[in-house]
Formats: sequence, structure tokens, C-alpha cells
Amino acid sequence: MTPTIQPAPETSTSPGLRPATGAPASPEAAPVTRAGRGPLLRWGALIGAGVLLTLVALASLRYGSISLSAADAWNALFHYNPDSYEQTVVRHLRLPRTLIGLGVGAALAVAGAAIQAVTRNPLAGPEILGVNSGAAFGVVAAVYFGQLVEPFQFVWFAFLGGLAAAALVSGVASAGPAGSSPVKLALAGVIVSSLLQSWLTGLLLLDQQTLDVVRFWMAGSLAGRSLEIYRAVLPFLAVGVAGLVALGPHLNVASLGEETARALGLKPHQIRWLVGGFSVLAVGAAVAVAGPIGFVGLAVPHIVRAVVGPDYRWVLPLSVLVGPLLLLSADLLGRVVARPAEIQVGIVTAITGAPVLIGLARRRKVVEL
Amino acid sequence: MSRLQTEGLTLAYTETRAVVEALSLQIPDGAVTAIVGPNGCGKSTLLKALGRLIAPRSGAVLLDGKAIHRLPTREVARQLGLLPQSPEAPEAIVVEDLVHRGRYPHQSVFQPPSKEDREAVERALARTGLTALRDRPVDELSGGQRQRAWIAMALAQETPILLLDEPTTYLDLAHQQEVLELIRRLSREEGRTVVVVLHDVNHAAWVADHAVALCHGRVVAAGPPHEVFSPGVLQAVFGVPCDVLACPGFDCSLCLPRGRTLHYVPGDGAAPAQPAPALRAEGLTLGYGGHPVVVDLSVTFPAGKVSAIVGPNGCGKSTLLRALAGLLPPARGQLYLGDRPLHGWAPRARARQVGLLPQLNAAPPHMSVDEVVALGRYPYQRWYRQWTRADLQAMERAMEATGVLDLRWRPLASLSGGQRQRVWLAMALAQETPILLLDEPTSFLDMAHQVAVLDLVREMNRREGRTVIMVLHDLDQASQYADFVVAMKEGRLVAAGPPSEVIREDLVEEVFGVRSTIFSDPATGAPVVMLQALARGAG
Amino acid sequence: MSLVPAHDPELPGRPPLVLVRVGPFSFRANLRVVALVAGAAALLAALALWGLTLGDVRFSWSEIAQAIAGQGPPSATFIVRDLRLPRILAALLVGPMLAMAGAIFQGLVRNPLVAPDVIGINAGASAAAVLWIVTRKPPALVPVAAFLGAVAAAAAIYLLTWRGRIATGRLIVVGIGVNALLTAATTFLLVQARIQDAGRAVLWMTGSLYAADWADVRLLAAALAVLGPLGATLMPALRVLQLGDLGAAALGMRVERRRLALLLVGCALAAVAVSVAGPVGFVALMVPHAARLLAGPMTGGVFLFTGLLGGLLLLGADLVAQHGLPASLPVGVVTAALGAPYFLAVLYRSGAKG
Repeated sequence: MTPTIQPAPETSTSPGLRPATGAPASPEAAPVTRAGRGPLLRWGALIGAGVLLTLVALASLRYGSISLSAADAWNALFHYNPDSYEQTVVRHLRLPRTLIGLGVGAALAVAGAAIQAVTRNPLAGPEILGVNSGAAFGVVAAVYFGQLVEPFQFVWFAFLGGLAAAALVSGVASAGPAGSSPVKLALAGVIVSSLLQSWLTGLLLLDQQTLDVVRFWMAGSLAGRSLEIYRAVLPFLAVGVAGLVALGPHLNVASLGEETARALGLKPHQIRWLVGGFSVLAVGAAVAVAGPIGFVGLAVPHIVRAVVGPDYRWVLPLSVLVGPLLLLSADLLGRVVARPAEIQVGIVTAITGAPVLIGLARRRKVVEL
Repeated sequence: MSRLQTEGLTLAYTETRAVVEALSLQIPDGAVTAIVGPNGCGKSTLLKALGRLIAPRSGAVLLDGKAIHRLPTREVARQLGLLPQSPEAPEAIVVEDLVHRGRYPHQSVFQPPSKEDREAVERALARTGLTALRDRPVDELSGGQRQRAWIAMALAQETPILLLDEPTTYLDLAHQQEVLELIRRLSREEGRTVVVVLHDVNHAAWVADHAVALCHGRVVAAGPPHEVFSPGVLQAVFGVPCDVLACPGFDCSLCLPRGRTLHYVPGDGAAPAQPAPALRAEGLTLGYGGHPVVVDLSVTFPAGKVSAIVGPNGCGKSTLLRALAGLLPPARGQLYLGDRPLHGWAPRARARQVGLLPQLNAAPPHMSVDEVVALGRYPYQRWYRQWTRADLQAMERAMEATGVLDLRWRPLASLSGGQRQRVWLAMALAQETPILLLDEPTSFLDMAHQVAVLDLVREMNRREGRTVIMVLHDLDQASQYADFVVAMKEGRLVAAGPPSEVIREDLVEEVFGVRSTIFSDPATGAPVVMLQALARGAG
Repeated sequence: MSLVPAHDPELPGRPPLVLVRVGPFSFRANLRVVALVAGAAALLAALALWGLTLGDVRFSWSEIAQAIAGQGPPSATFIVRDLRLPRILAALLVGPMLAMAGAIFQGLVRNPLVAPDVIGINAGASAAAVLWIVTRKPPALVPVAAFLGAVAAAAAIYLLTWRGRIATGRLIVVGIGVNALLTAATTFLLVQARIQDAGRAVLWMTGSLYAADWADVRLLAAALAVLGPLGATLMPALRVLQLGDLGAAALGMRVERRRLALLLVGCALAAVAVSVAGPVGFVALMVPHAARLLAGPMTGGVFLFTGLLGGLLLLGADLVAQHGLPASLPVGVVTAALGAPYFLAVLYRSGAKG
């Protein structure tokens, strides 16, 4: 059948036309139901986290396998008397681990937040770049082949291993005809991590000596790490953390998605490389000192975003405070619950963090990967 | 000379096939330019190239006479704003924060938001009518509000040129109208240049000062809408015959695609081999976890007819369809298939009576068409009898009816959107149920494929006497293709009956909250809806 | 029995399909898959036979035949019958079980990167086994502990995911969480343990077939004989589940019931395999992927092929680990070394959409 084609301008078919009457519908009747996250709340959160962190840091000096008086802790810091056993404990054991906890917690949390923003994946973390397993493999390989025994020597191999793994992961993720994508990054991270993990186990099996040397480092702990190591890697850590915090405004735009971000004048691949680079510096340094510590990088950004919303100009600085807060609390918990023995902080964070992750998965309506 | 233009622009994702070829186009300043064309014609690709998201193979996009790809990224972002199709907001972001991000090209790194930034955000919020909603999380907004929030973000960018990719998809009538009006005002009142890719020719005809019809990466026609949207051009671009109706009193016309089953009349088909039982709801209340979505609904869907369910987004039409398929137990009331409560049926026996094609279908892309259609035979299979002659014949009949027999061994991933939708239909047909439920079978399709799918549905109904119940987005399609229309709002039944009784001005206003004028289609007598807000008054 | 070619016009890409009918049974078979299955089976048999000849002591074919029949010299009989044969048979059985479990999990959650190793089932087995080892309970019962650990982990994942239904996205996240929790617990046990115990535990955790004996083989064979066919009959359901919950329910499937059945079969396959061999990595992840690439989407036949390919990989890897390297390594190290580059190559080529 042939349709009746009617050229538009000439024909005036005569459907009944009736004039419009009645009031226009108002699409906007919904009242404001929720107060905004004003600067007051954000500053409040920042200050609150700072105060809490100070308290936890002080508690970390005072409590442990033996509890000390506040005066001992105070004197150890400001009027150090080397003859006092208590003050020596504070000065040589607890002060280093507290300082290390501050730096490591900040590095892991900030890197986690930044990586979640660029991958647009709430389940991403520093582990996704392969830094943890790369560092672990670096240490084990160095101990096995180089017969190292001193933790002081581990640090550079951990650093190198982390760097190499991260380079491999981002290289695979951005190479190939299809180009780079956040999904590819996550997948490459998982695969490289599990490869290194199994090689590492292979090396450990060949030599029980190596296993004995590294198994404490591998559990992830703030205890027994020397300040010299920390001092050596601190510049890297500081540059990494500072760089990531400065990327806040760019990450805000990057988290809108690739196309929107590019339309706003951002170069997403540039940001991905910067985040990757700074994260490797910060996390590599953190892992080199403390060993692989999971979940801080994953969980802290979620907590922080729940308070200040997904504005990375706030999320990143707040992560710098909340990360150490969580890590030092976990460390303290590990020291106190199993007194006089202690549980490595990496184990405490995983055991307390995993339920948080599972709760998160249950709360969200749909979790799509 | 216009500020934005293309010169011999060729765009390609692969070496061998160009998506857009040697295109030279002038975008008129201070006007709304609409780009229309069938799926895969390269319209979104062209828009991305205009926004410098894609680098040209050859030729160039020129902004003020300079090749856009040589200009610094930020410089371009201050001149051109681009909103991709269905962007995704970060979880829990509030409107104001989202809009603030549009200021990115104007900010330097360590600078707090300046007075200018704040003013631009205020203006963008006010322009889009979102000032009152500024503190609301974006994921809690309605579809129209969310789209406006994104447009506000692009507005805060304060660019003289704005590129929008299908801003009206996924929206219902009232929200489509909201967004289109906003686009028009942006150009009329602020003199911005807007380029918008649109799916619906009637939207383009209304909103545009200048229209570009694209087909296979080439411009078929460009010019004022009333010239471009002529039956000849539409036939050439979409490959489907169209009538263009002039509407007295309005200076824009309505385009109505004409399928091959245009002159089928209700009930002129063969009697069904076995009379299908009718689906009947009585006092039906449905909900997920205590929250009622459909409330106290009673309606009988006539057997052997095509029924359409219409209503705004979130009115419970998909939920109703799900319940009609027996997948959602009623919270109260009852559903009957013939005389038996639907819920008493065993799942497989039910699936031999009622088939449902959901709106979004997923399958691994490497599955072949044959394998997907074969899934429709699941209700007939047992673990020891996984495949019989009858299965094979039913599958082949279904593939023949939908015209996908030729594609049988191709992987799903290699098919176009329209082909894929026909494969899904074939799967539902292979289920050989007397009653077929379709959830928005025409969404994601362009005009020709929409018409083809609806024609297919009507033919199936007329030839085999199958009862078809479908949720439709488009009122005109409902009035053209359905024998029985059910209008819903907020989970309740507003009206049910033949199209001429349900698609009335008062009911359209009650259901969708928009004022309209109803014409009658001279060819079929079916009602045709012209939204009044879309109708620019003649005077 | 009748074989009828499924007739239709010749179109490009048409696979060689035939309709097979035997009494009440009738199904469609792809001759290409049949050929692949036959080829893989033959290759597997050849590899197994060749494996019998490898080792410090060389035997001729006739000596091996005699030893298996129990007629050769006692030393040869001991080496072939009680050392080599059980180990090879264990590899032949564990590989398919891991691969089949992987195929089921990947289909269930519609994500090619999910395997029992990722969502915590192996971690459950490890945690229980390590606990058993470091507390110096009888070593003979380590497999039992591992099995119970895997089952407990699977049950925990299922219960924690359940909220009216099993959302597959949630299943992955919960699985990752459970995995992390159990891994941390394992690390804790290792740190607390005496170093000899820790060494044994690490050895178990890499996955190895060192200790496989006839009792293990009998257990594995019985489990595979039950679970393999059960899994194969569930394949149509798995295929329909690819449509998503709504689409599957519309086709008359009881979605939650079928999903529970698939989870049970997948968990049982993984748990039994892991209890004997330890958590051998990458087999469950990689083999289904390779099988789909070679033979097409999962059907009963492709499922069988997946199993055979799993056997080939594990047996091959075990032979390499045992004889091909300067030092004898656990098989898990070799599967990882083979698996990871394969996946990185796949990733390099793909857009990694799914």
C-alpha cells in the first residue's frame, strides 16, 4: 500500500484544534529535604578528625603491652631521661611506630581515595596497582637471592618491587589496541598481584630461612620498624601525599566520567598517570616501611565520602587525617587485646575492615562492577 | 561565517570504515541546530568531534577559523560545552557540587571558588530551575531533574556554544518537554549556539532553527526544519515512509511514520488456533518490600488484541507487566489467566502460556543468534530431553517471522541495535505463548526499526491471534498500534479502553501533567498528540 | 539411536550441529565440540601415559604395564602403582574439578574474572587447613578440615549475600571481603606458628600433589562421578541465567533454586579438589576462558571439554613442576606462571568489557 504523503506547507488537514486552557503543571513541588554539606560541616569534620587523631596518637604512646602514666609519655617526648625504662619504651618503641603510623596511614588512605576517583570504582584501592604484592615480591626475592637479613636493606627492594609491579600493571592496562580503561586497570592489577603472590610463595618454599626472615614483614606491622628507614623514605611519601592532595580539583572532574571530563578540558590519561605516579611513591614508601597493610586504602575513602560527600578537594585532606586515625587505632587494638603479645596491624585492619566492606555491599541497592 | 564549522571532516574508529565522511557543515551562531538520523548514522560521533573528543582522520573542525585540535584543551572548554549521552554522576553528589564542576576550565589549581564561579553556578541553577534543589543528591532526583542538573553543569561552564547528545532519551513526556523548552530558551534568550542530537524527529522539528539530517555519515539535507523534515527526506534518511501533518494554528508540523500494517483494522485477522485466555487483574496491589508500586488496579486485557500500557516514568507500568508475567506475587488482590489465578501455575507451565520480553536484555556478546533464540525453548525442555524437532521448528518459525534467519549464526555482538531487538523478539516468539508481554520494545531503536517492530507485533497478533500487551513510551505509537490502551499514574489506573477514548486532552493532562492538543490522523483516524508547550503559537 | 543433521539453509558460520536421539534422551550436539572433546581426551591419555615413564627411575612400557598389573619386581610396582599413578590420576581428577567449578562460577556471576580463588572459597579451605596444621592435629585429616573450611566459607558468602535474593554483584564484593578476612586469619596463624609448621602450611597453601595417594584418588573419582554429570545437566539453566534474573524467570525458571543448585555443585567441586590438592591457583580462572574461546559458549559438551582441558593443564603443569625445573616446585607455582601471562595477553588484546 502507498502511504498518503502530504507535503507539509500546503495541506491543512482539519483535525479539531482546541485552544489551551488550564494552569501549567508545576514540575517542582518537592521541598528541600536535606541540608547541604556546607563548609561548616566540612571544616567541622576536618577539625574533629584532627583532634581525634591527636588523642589516638597520644594514646598510642601511652598504652600497649605495658601501660604508662601520662607523665612518662610527656617526659619521654620533652624531658627525656634515658635511665627511665618507661621513657625508653616510649622513645624507642612507641614514638617510632606512632610516627610511622601517621605517615603510612595518610599515604594509604589518600592513594586509595585518588585511585577510587580515577577508576570510578568504589572497590579499588592501592592494592589494585600491584604495589603491595610487588613490594612483597621484591623483598622476598632480595632476601632469597641476596641473602639479606636486615630490614634496613629490605626497604629499597620493596620500593623497587612496588614500582616495577605498578609500572607493569599500568603498562598492560594502557597498552593494546583498545587503549586504557579503568576496568582493564583493575583486571591487570588482580592478575599481576596473584602472579607475584604465587611466585613469592614458590620462593618461600624453596627456602625456609627466607620465610622466617620475611614473614613478620609480610604480615604488615608498625612495630619494630626503625626510624632510619622511615626517614629514608619519608621524602617520597611526602611528595606522593602532597601531590595527590593537590590533584583534588582534577579528580572532581575525572570522577564525572571520561567524556564529560574531557569535555571540561581535562586530560584523563594525564591525570591517570599522575595519580599512578604519586600513588606509587606514597604507597611504595608506606609498604617498604610497614609491609603490606590492606583495607585502609579501601575503607577510609568510603568513610570520608560518607561525611563530606564526593568532593575530592575535601576528601583527600580529610583522608590524610582519617587514614592514620584508623591505622593507629587498629595498631592500638592489636597491642591491647592480645596483651602481652600483639597482633600485627595488617591483620587487625583486614579483620575489622572486611566486615565494613561486606556491610557496604549489603547496604547498597545494587553493586555493579 | 559561523564560529563552528567542519571542513571535509572524516571520522573513523577503525582503519577500514569511516563513520562520518568528508563532511562540511556550518553551525549557525545563536541558533539551535538539531542533528537527526537513524542509529549508527554517525550523529553522536559527529557531536563528539565537534567537542574535540574525537580526533578527525582527515579534515577539521574549525572554531573561529582555527582547527579545534590544535587549540589548548582548556581554551576549547571555555568556548564549547559538551554533555554526553546519559552521563553518570558520582554517588551521593549534591546538585550544587555537580554544577560547580562545570567551572573547571575557568579555575586554576590552588584557587578557591571565585565570586565569578559562584555567580555562574547561581545563574546556571536559576536558569534550570534547580535553585530549590541545590542541596539534593543527584541520584535522588527524577529523570528530568537529573538531566537538568547535568545541563546546569554544562551551563556553568558559560560557553557560547553548547553541544548536547540526546538529552531527552529515558525521559517521559513532561520531562522531555521541560528539557526541550530549556534548550529553546537558552538560544532565544541568551543567544547561545546549541547543537543537539535528537532521536525524535518531532522534537527536532519543534526545537530547531536549523536541522541536519544525517545518513551513513553523510548529510542528506540541511536547512530550516520545515524543509528538512519533508516526506521525501525522511524516507531517504530513515528508510520509512512518513506523512507530515501540518497542524493548523501551529508553525511546526508533525511527522508520522507509516508502517506496512497501517490499514490493518482491529479484529480482521484469522481466528486464533486456540483461543487465548484473557489476563485479568482484580484489585491488584503490587510492591517491593512493603512499598506499594501498583495500587488496587482492576482491568481485563482483551484476549486476541494488542494492548498498550502508558504512563509517566515510575508509574508502575513495568511492575504491572512483571506481575502479569507471574514474576511478582500480588500483595493484595488477584491476577487471573482465564479462570485460574496466575500464581497457581507452575513456573514452566506458566512460561508456556505467558512470555515476557524485559526492557533490557543481556546476553554474552559471543553467543550466536541461534543460541539466544534457543533459550526461548527452555520451558519445553527437560534435562534428558534438551532438544527435539519441535524445538527446532519453533525456533525457525520465530526467526523467520522476525527476519533474523539470515543472521542465525552471527554472534550477537556483531548486530545492530535494531537487529538485536528483533533477535530478542524471536526468542520471545520461540517460547510460543498465546500471550506475549513486551516492555518498551521500541526504546533504543530509530524510527524505521520502531515501525518494523510494531508492524511485526501487529502482524503476529492478526495472523496468529496472539494476545500482546506492551508498555509503550510514545503515545502516538500506542494510539496507532494498540486496540486497547491502559493509562496509569502513580500506580493507579486512570483510564482503559480503545485509543480514541483514552488518548484525550484531559486524560493526557491528568496522566502526564502536560497540556496537549489532540488531532486525528487523517489516514487512520487515530488520535495524534501535539504537546502545547511544544507548539509554538502561530501568532 | 538416530543422528539427524539439523537442517537449515547453508549460512556462513553454521556449526556442524546434529540432533541426537537415544530412547527418551534427545539433545543437540555440535560435532566440532565432540571432536574437541575426543581430541582433548586422547591427548590427556597420552600425557598421562608419558607421565608414568618420567622420573628418576626409567621404566620401559612393558615394565610399566607389568607394574600396573602387579606382576613386575616389587620396587617397580611400588614406584609406578603407589607413587606415580595416584599422583597422575589425582591431577587428572583435580584439574577438571577446578575448571568445572570455575566455569560454573563465571557463568553464575557473569564475570570472567571470578573463580573460587577470588571469592574466598579457597581462602576458607586454606584457613581451616592452616589452623589444622599449626595446631598439629593429625595430618591425615587436613583434607577434611580443608573441605569443611571451604564449605563454611561458601555458606558464609551465600548467607551474607542473601537479601531476598542473590544479587551477583553483591556476591562478588562479599566474596572479596570474606577472602580478605580469611587471608588475614591465615596470615595471623602463620605468624604465630612455629617455623616448621609455618613451612608446611605454606607448602599446602601453594597447592601440590606431592602427597596424593589411592584414598585421595578414590575420593576424587567418586566426587567427580557425581558432580560432573550433575553440573553438565545444569548447563541449560546456566545458559538461561545469562539473560539476567528477570529474563530467566520469564522463561519459567525458578531462579533462586537453580542458582543455589549451581552454587552447591560449584562449591562442592572446588571444596573436594582443594581439600586434596590445596588451593591451586589460576586453573579455575583460566581454563573456562580458554575453553569458551576454543569451543564457544558453555553447553554440556563445552563443560566436558572444560574439564578435560583443566586435566590437561594441571597434569602438564604438575609434570613440569616435578620434572621440568631444576628444583621440584608445587604445581600451583607453575599454573600461575602459565596463567598470568595468558590473561595479560587476553587483556592486552581486549577492550576488557566483559
